[in-house]
Amino acid sequence: MDLLNSILVKPFGDMFGAPDFLIQVLWEGLVAGVLYALIALGFVLIYKSSRIFNFAQGIMVVFAALTLVGLHEKGVPALLAVPMTLAVMFALAVAIERVVLRPLVNQPDIILFMATIGITLFLVGFGELIFGGENKVMITQQLFIPTGSFEFEPFGGFVSIEQKDVTAVIGAVLLVAGLILFLNRSKMGRAIRALGDDHQAALSVGISLSTIWVLVWFIAGVIALATGIVWGARAGVSFALEVIAFKALPVLMLGGLESVLGAIVGGIAIGVLEKLFEIYWGQPLLGGNTETWFAFVFALVVLLFRPQGLFGERIIERV
Amino acid sequence: MLYRTAGQFKTSYHADHALFPVRQDALLLGFILLLAFVVFPMTASEFVFKALLVPVLIYALAALGLNILTGFAGQLSLGTGAFMGVGAYACYKLVSIFPEMNIVVAIALSGFFSAAIGVAFGLPSLRIKGFYLAIATLAAQFFLVWLFEKWAWLYNYNSSGAIQVPNIDMFGVTVAGPNASAVVQYYFVLCVVALVTFLSINITRGRVGRIWKSVRDMDIAAELVGINLMKAKLSAFAVSSYIVGVSGALFVFLWRGAAEPVLFDIPLSFRVLFIAIIGGLGSILGNFLGAILIVALPVIISALPAALGLPVSSAAVEHLNTMTIGALIIAFLIIEPHGLARFWAIIREKLIMWPFPH
Amino acid sequence: MKTFLKKTLLPVALLVGTALAVPALAAEDAINVTNLSYRTGPFAATGTPLMNGQRDYMLMLNERDGGVNGVKLNYDECETGYNTEKGAECYEKTKATSIVTQPWSTGITLQVLPKSNVDKVPILAPGYGFSPMTDGKIFQWAFNPPATYWDGASMILKSISDGNVENLKGKKIVLLHLDAPYGKEPIPLLKAYADKYGFTFLPIPVGVKEMQNQSAQWLQIRRERPDFVLMWGWGAMNVGAVTEAVKTKFPMDKFVGIWWSGHDGDMKSVGEAGKGYRSLSWSLPDSNSQAMQDIKKYVVDAGKSQIGAGEFDWVFYQRGVLISMFTVEGIKAAQEKFGTKVVNAEQLRWGLENLKLDDAKLASIGMAGMIGPFSTACNNHAGHAGAWMLQWDGTKFVKVSDLLSADQDMIAPLVEAEAKKYAEANAPWPVNEECKM
Repeated sequence: MDLLNSILVKPFGDMFGAPDFLIQVLWEGLVAGVLYALIALGFVLIYKSSRIFNFAQGIMVVFAALTLVGLHEKGVPALLAVPMTLAVMFALAVAIERVVLRPLVNQPDIILFMATIGITLFLVGFGELIFGGENKVMITQQLFIPTGSFEFEPFGGFVSIEQKDVTAVIGAVLLVAGLILFLNRSKMGRAIRALGDDHQAALSVGISLSTIWVLVWFIAGVIALATGIVWGARAGVSFALEVIAFKALPVLMLGGLESVLGAIVGGIAIGVLEKLFEIYWGQPLLGGNTETWFAFVFALVVLLFRPQGLFGERIIERV
Repeated sequence: MLYRTAGQFKTSYHADHALFPVRQDALLLGFILLLAFVVFPMTASEFVFKALLVPVLIYALAALGLNILTGFAGQLSLGTGAFMGVGAYACYKLVSIFPEMNIVVAIALSGFFSAAIGVAFGLPSLRIKGFYLAIATLAAQFFLVWLFEKWAWLYNYNSSGAIQVPNIDMFGVTVAGPNASAVVQYYFVLCVVALVTFLSINITRGRVGRIWKSVRDMDIAAELVGINLMKAKLSAFAVSSYIVGVSGALFVFLWRGAAEPVLFDIPLSFRVLFIAIIGGLGSILGNFLGAILIVALPVIISALPAALGLPVSSAAVEHLNTMTIGALIIAFLIIEPHGLARFWAIIREKLIMWPFPH
Repeated sequence: MKTFLKKTLLPVALLVGTALAVPALAAEDAINVTNLSYRTGPFAATGTPLMNGQRDYMLMLNERDGGVNGVKLNYDECETGYNTEKGAECYEKTKATSIVTQPWSTGITLQVLPKSNVDKVPILAPGYGFSPMTDGKIFQWAFNPPATYWDGASMILKSISDGNVENLKGKKIVLLHLDAPYGKEPIPLLKAYADKYGFTFLPIPVGVKEMQNQSAQWLQIRRERPDFVLMWGWGAMNVGAVTEAVKTKFPMDKFVGIWWSGHDGDMKSVGEAGKGYRSLSWSLPDSNSQAMQDIKKYVVDAGKSQIGAGEFDWVFYQRGVLISMFTVEGIKAAQEKFGTKVVNAEQLRWGLENLKLDDAKLASIGMAGMIGPFSTACNNHAGHAGAWMLQWDGTKFVKVSDLLSADQDMIAPLVEAEAKKYAEANAPWPVNEECKM
């Protein structure tokens, strides 16, 4: 009975007993969720256009952030360092397309997946060789990201909302809006979607596979840079960031591999739910640290009911 | 020349389906076994045992387990590391609860625990497919490692949360623990691996293996011709997890000597997956070739600069090492996506034809 | 195909052969000291300055004195990336040549500890590893000078209670720790303290994957409202924790870390905001000491060091120097006792067991005041030196306490029980019967 009480009743009592704390928990979950969604977005774009499950998105985040900070350390002004980093990401996209993807066209999914893990390892070694393994500080001020915090005192408690988190959320919203516009309105964007729908049909109407792939990997690089900036502003830039790639996987599965909207909804849902679960159930009952697996188990449960994810395209199988 | 098949003819279908249709294959295998059982133990140093031979065998066994699931039955798994952990912890608990139990029995039993957990996490495979299924195995991966960390009973309430292998004797010889000699451990691992490999070759050649392959190639079609998908997929999960569990028990008891939960985290799963893929999915031989490559390569690369007399710091070597492995994985995938086993098959074909081009 | 094989495989095979043979050719008049370093991986930021310090002290002795009593020190590194598997491989590779093993992670220490009795190479784990290793009767080959994690926990409690642990009665203390063997080390002792002195003790684990995203842990801290937060953190976790503490408005002067959570590099990225954060340290940086000045002269200014700008003054760099000093003093003691120049692993074991680092000795090697005086014995492999509280003032760590000392009455029974448990679990385990202390 006690157990049932502590699972079913007490957590909700705690939530409404300290609403200011609950708001803080929800906000923290939301910010984390937005960041998961950003990484998942990079995955979705690449998956949509080339059916590649791009495991390297996590290291691209680290690589972009390190390049930005590294350039700034070398004396490049921050506002110039951003376009230079974008140029580096573009070069990376071209290189990946030329060296890795082109020879592997038409291989099974798992081979391409492995190839992206190969890219990950390569970039880890390369990045450490160039930038060293130290923790670096994201150049927050130089990029005009505010660093203070808003404080409210609702219900007699206190809620603190960091301005850089607000910037992150706004930035993510703008990025996603821009991306959706691009995919739906521009010629290139439509070509990407066409390629996602049917490779051969797209090729036959004259869409160039290699151009689109470079473009898509470059957009993924842009998203990686944005993610790197906001996440780096929160926690510093180091190779330990690479592990957030794993957090994007359940987000993707939950939302559906092909859906931009799914990545966003999935990211926010997982960010908020895992935080709520950890604070109100995980820590009091399970010894904490449930965030390592909650997202995966949650996504698994959802998948049992919708095998293609919440927003994924329905899987039709023919013999 | 070496592979001349002239004069070897078969008079029955049965003979044609024998394990070694070409006599030279059997000779080659005999030669390799001779190397493994006689030549290596006589020549290898302790470092070679501990850093090359034993890990190659154990990783090959783990990859074999994964290969049965992914290569033969077509179910992608990213949770191999955690299933190895289940085997290792099960073996640890068995040994500490029943100290009298023979270590071979303990290792054999510990496989059943990981098989059971494997089947439990394999259940979603009946509904979820492809990359979506990877999430089920990842859920297993992260949840189980978390459990190893939190469930103090598993590590006997040890204050550091790690498990330590005690000295274990078998017929008067110490086989596990700090006092065991490297040669004894090598022979132990070699026998287990040889036995499991022999069994799995025959399983995959037989009825069960064919059912798995048909499920891999197209599960709906397989279902239409009357194959019970549930039985086929779950049996693949069970057999695969059993082998993986045994390899996990060997991993800790016969090689590492101690383990902390982090050891079984996702990098281990990826490592085993690399071995299976670079070796060749759907092949038994490939696991061994892949393990040799993935285990030996870093050891060789880190020794290279010193041998060449290049003044490279150990950190830079490590970075180059990571880079090279990444690049080599890509290169191998590009050159031969079907893995080293296919590579060997092509060479063998050429040798049989040689010196004629066609 | 065949020419390809000949052209590429043959040289590779030759190279591998020579590579494996090289250690055996090492010069006879040198002492090999191989460090299982980690300059890569998620903890590289904290590892690098420590490795640099160790390396530079040995280089300095080679340059200034031609080594130790005329024997050169052959310092080398085997990179582990803080990875237990690589660590075990490095151990196998170096145990035949190196006279000491420095495993550099609690995980690797646990791996190699049981093998030390068989391989007869001393393990030196300064300020880390398994706390009961201090019991030298049972852990004959393992050394963790100058203090164990349990010493550290005891000193921190003494410091936050203003010298009298009774003051903590009714208070709530949180331990924010890395969810790994290292982070779990202090838990048994802190539990014993909590039972005896009547404070509430709550460990909060931070998973290795959650190091950079500790908002859940800090929300829990906010909910629990502890009086003090102690931290057993490492690498990126330290930065993450201090950043979150600032955000949660947790008072910095109630937040105390162990010696590995006091890294200048980490705190620099937090800057002003981390002002008031304290970290226990058994080493005290002193860039003007004779030893440090000699390193500057012979190594850094000569361009032989790998350190970055400002790193010379860091706590961790100078701690690395002290760690090499333990090895060197062990070698010196062994040279004197055995009357030989090139000591071997077994002789070094004796040397490490008979370290006598009193104030006079420290002054003679130019390190006066950089570490609390201590000495080891056959039943005491840690030495239980004291430590200082260092406080971050926004730009650097400054000393804010006198030399603290641990309460051995609390620790000794626990050490004895845990060491005994370990020996029993690993029977047959050899015990040093000659040690009558």
